[in-house]
Amino acid sequence: MNSWLTVAAVLLPIAGGILIPILPFRRRIHMEWYIEALVIATSVLVWCLLLHRPEELVLLRFTDQIVFTLRIDGLGTVFAGLISVLWPLAILYSYEYMTHEERERPFFMFYTATFGVTLGIAFAGNILTMYFFYELLTLVTIPLVIHTFTRDAVLAARKYIYFSMGGAAFGFIAVVFLLYYGGNTEFVLGGFLGSLPGGLNFNLVLAVFVIGFIGFSVKAAMFPFYSWLPDAGAAPTPVTALLHAVAVVKAGAFAVIRLTYYCFGTEMLIGTWAQKLVLSLAMFTIVFGCSMAVRETHLKRRLAFSTVSNLSYIIFGAAIMTTAGLAGALCHMVFHAIMKISAFFCSGAIMHQTDHHFIPDMDGFGRKMPWVYGAFTVSALGMMGVPGCCGFISKWLLAEAAIGAGTVWTWIGVAALLISALLTAIYMMTFVVRGFFPGKDFDYEKLRDVRDPNWKMILPLAVFSIAIVGFGLYSTPLTEFLSRVAAGLI
Amino acid sequence: MKSLFVIVVFYPMLGAILGYLIGRKSKEARNYFADFVVISEFCLMLLALVKLQGEELFLDEICGMGLHFAMNGFRGLYGLIAAFMWMMTMIFSREYFAHYRNRNRYYLFQLVTLGATVGVFLSASLYTTFLFFEIMSFTSYVWVAQDERKESLRAAETYLAVAVIGGMVLLMGLFLLYNEIGTLEIAELAQGCEASPHRTRLYVAGACILFGFAAKAGAFPLHIWLPKAHPVAPAPASALLSGILTKAGVLGILIVSCYMFYGDKPWGSMLLLFGVLTMFGGAVLAVFSVDLKRTLACSSMSQIGFILVGIAMQCLLGEENALAVHGTFLHMMNHSLIKLVLFMVAGVVFMNIHELNLNEIRGFGRHKPFLNLAFLMGALGISGMPLWNGYISKTLIHESIVEYGSSPEFVFVEWIFLISGGLTAAYMTKLYVALFVERNTDEKKQARYDAMSSSYMNAQSRFAIGVSALVLPVLGIFPTLTMDRLAQLSQGFMGLSEYGHHVHYFGWESVRGGLISLAIGVVVYLFVVRTFFMPRRNGVRVYADRWPAWMDLENLIYRPLIQYILPTVGQFVCRIGDSLVDTLVVVLRKTIYNDRKIPYRTGRLPKADVLFGTFMDWYAVRLRHRDQAVSYRRSLRRRKVERKESRLMIRRSLSYGMQMVGIGMLIVVGYLLLYRFAH
Repeated sequence: MNSWLTVAAVLLPIAGGILIPILPFRRRIHMEWYIEALVIATSVLVWCLLLHRPEELVLLRFTDQIVFTLRIDGLGTVFAGLISVLWPLAILYSYEYMTHEERERPFFMFYTATFGVTLGIAFAGNILTMYFFYELLTLVTIPLVIHTFTRDAVLAARKYIYFSMGGAAFGFIAVVFLLYYGGNTEFVLGGFLGSLPGGLNFNLVLAVFVIGFIGFSVKAAMFPFYSWLPDAGAAPTPVTALLHAVAVVKAGAFAVIRLTYYCFGTEMLIGTWAQKLVLSLAMFTIVFGCSMAVRETHLKRRLAFSTVSNLSYIIFGAAIMTTAGLAGALCHMVFHAIMKISAFFCSGAIMHQTDHHFIPDMDGFGRKMPWVYGAFTVSALGMMGVPGCCGFISKWLLAEAAIGAGTVWTWIGVAALLISALLTAIYMMTFVVRGFFPGKDFDYEKLRDVRDPNWKMILPLAVFSIAIVGFGLYSTPLTEFLSRVAAGLI
Repeated sequence: MKSLFVIVVFYPMLGAILGYLIGRKSKEARNYFADFVVISEFCLMLLALVKLQGEELFLDEICGMGLHFAMNGFRGLYGLIAAFMWMMTMIFSREYFAHYRNRNRYYLFQLVTLGATVGVFLSASLYTTFLFFEIMSFTSYVWVAQDERKESLRAAETYLAVAVIGGMVLLMGLFLLYNEIGTLEIAELAQGCEASPHRTRLYVAGACILFGFAAKAGAFPLHIWLPKAHPVAPAPASALLSGILTKAGVLGILIVSCYMFYGDKPWGSMLLLFGVLTMFGGAVLAVFSVDLKRTLACSSMSQIGFILVGIAMQCLLGEENALAVHGTFLHMMNHSLIKLVLFMVAGVVFMNIHELNLNEIRGFGRHKPFLNLAFLMGALGISGMPLWNGYISKTLIHESIVEYGSSPEFVFVEWIFLISGGLTAAYMTKLYVALFVERNTDEKKQARYDAMSSSYMNAQSRFAIGVSALVLPVLGIFPTLTMDRLAQLSQGFMGLSEYGHHVHYFGWESVRGGLISLAIGVVVYLFVVRTFFMPRRNGVRVYADRWPAWMDLENLIYRPLIQYILPTVGQFVCRIGDSLVDTLVVVLRKTIYNDRKIPYRTGRLPKADVLFGTFMDWYAVRLRHRDQAVSYRRSLRRRKVERKESRLMIRRSLSYGMQMVGIGMLIVVGYLLLYRFAH
């Protein structure tokens, strides 16, 4: 396949997105068709690229070290494949959701352009290119966070900028270090730094790694730099669901994996204090995020805290620094994306239909919105890790990898996973139970106006629910594929 | 033929969904359909028991590690008992639920749980067991919460909490075990554990797994959900919870004990300790209880204790555990069948008068010979009366304790065993006398109860209860023909190949233990229950709840721990974590990046400003008769500083920079144009 198509896949949604406010659509439906077609075309193109992997493409060459390359490898395949499936469904959902909001066109412009930027992160061939798209992602998503222009949204956007830019600044230290000592900065599984570059102090290298790791994990909302994520829930739900549960935050996790496995290399890091530090941060976040979610009564914020916790599952898997750990992390990346986007879409549907935001106001809704609550229950069970849902598979893989690594730290991690599963059960099930079992004398008359949304919202939910159960029952091809990716065979 | 495994497990689940859809159209059709599903499931299970003996089925790659089913005597029999109990309760449900809301939901979860339970019993790897065990736990939650009363929801919450915590600990145990021996296949466990050099790790793994299963079985101190959930669940569900779901937990304990720790003395001693506590504690709770279903629930706990003692004796006796093996299995089976009858009778009482308190339901059973007889069968069975089935299994377990030796500890265990048996007889007598012998203290109520004697249940319920009750004496009267054979069929699962004993069930040695128990029961009933537990109020003896209300393990320890103490600690940590970054920012702003305040002294002003300001001040004071509080001079100065500040801000801002760049570009363009025109 022509390798210039890689650039096309990145540029198509960006260019097409910029056209949205300019093109003269007569009716809203025309715009809907245009955007859907654009996104589906991009997705199809992406899948073609993934299946017939083109050669590496050097876009620009500033100096010998500073090169701008796009290349598709195993890890990028997983990330790009994931988001290109989710984006068309999210677009479909947001048509219905955005009917209540203003300024649709700029919204869709940025929403579509983000797709291209995220693909850029997935396809980036070296750390510099990835860094470029990583910064771009922050910029292009700010208008989405601030979209409603309420006070909360403005504050959230400000916080988002500070955190993201600050994190990227930390990441930049690692990038420069790698550029300087790495020479050729092409991503290689196992790292390109070699043993120890140029007689450097080993602890210095580790310190740079830790700085870079924490910097990039700001987007993945790892403790202590997580608080932008719950606040960013002020954005419209399609943004929260797709960007703040999948694209942006997983880009953070993706960058962390790139940094650990493809730049520094696990051989050098495993067993050092740096690994222990990042492991314990991840473990703490796992439990911490869940505890915060239990405390929270605002539905979207609760789900956001749940995302905080679940992203650290991925980081935890990556920080185990074994092939099995990476496979578990990738598996959770995929499955959590499906489950969380489904949960957010359900919460969005509830807000869209009823304008309620707090969980205590949602008693008894389950009977009136069986589709939405059914989908939410499936995703709740999945996130708890109930057997038969996909969350169980990824948690099993993570725990197996953690125990297989055989150190005390990773064993504590298993305990953290289980405690977090318990807390997940509390914060997800209390909501589901309130919805379905409001109590014996509950007055359903109050909920006369509560009903399921139309098919545009239901269809994505149904697809996700089927995927959650389907992957829970049969996921071997996917897990095999992911472990081959983790082993560098693909 | 092997596909039969898949069918018996997933057929009820499929039926559940179909039934739900049918139920949305017609309730009557749904009831018939549900009956059809459970009856055909029973037939399929029977077929599977006969045809699949010794077969196995691997479903690779399903649910991650793949499902693995196997069939042998024990699994098949228990699957069959499960199907039988579901069949009977389903037939009974029709009348019981006639006036309930949300029946569709109940039927849906009822059938899904059937499939999951059969899956648990047929599983051949702990992984498969765990999968179906969890599904079973979650779907049965709905049973407890079914009527959505406050106390039901609370009990359901407890049930779910125990199930989830138990499931998590169980999963941890499975991880540890898998890491240690590299397999979860039940058949390979024994070998793997034998070969493992780390005994301690095995004990830790085993303890975690035991915790998970014991929570479901209702062993002390994890029994808290049992006495709460049973009384509030609908009676058919209580029968299943108590009769079969607890046995799924026992199955897990059996797997751990017979495969991982076969003949392991420390493990056996620990189990014996918990077994004795559960057995005795449950019996004492049951004697104290004044609620029909709560008594039966505590009785279930006590009987699980008997079974645990049997399992412990298997471990302690090692190779010579034949009696314990038979006793354990038979007591499991008997308890399932007996509790089925007893809970259905309780269901009949509840569906007629919606009361469970002994003082309220007193005398309900008078002039209802059918109900009386059915309850009597169950009561005699569970009390261990010779010629009824419970007697046989209790005798076997008792014999195994006697066989182990006569050291003082075991004499003590034996006596606790006999006393617990006696307490069983005492509380069953209490229930029987209250329901069927005494008259209600309120004569109006008694008259109402008597008037029901022909209409209190329909033919279908009669059939379900009658058949279930008839099984009990048949098993008890012909033990060698029935029970011994069933036990022999299932003994392979517990690692017993040959059964050399021939117990004379009705010989003096055997009967003596049973009679001692019954004698204790009579004494307790006459001298404790009828005096201490039945004080006189207004000249009549009433049943009094003598259990101090504060003595409740759940409310005393677990709930405070989980609802207050742990959250407080967590909240403290969360607060600190939550404000960590913000605090850092505040500290930085206060120290390094502190905002410069606008200084009061503003430096020199241009001469003209000073002159003008001075003039204005003078003018204000002289001509307009103001005092000098408002100084034009000073405000001019302040404004100047403000201008300076804002200029600074504009200059530092991004847009200013952009503007400058733009202007620069314009100039460049202009210059280029000029240059072009010049040449």
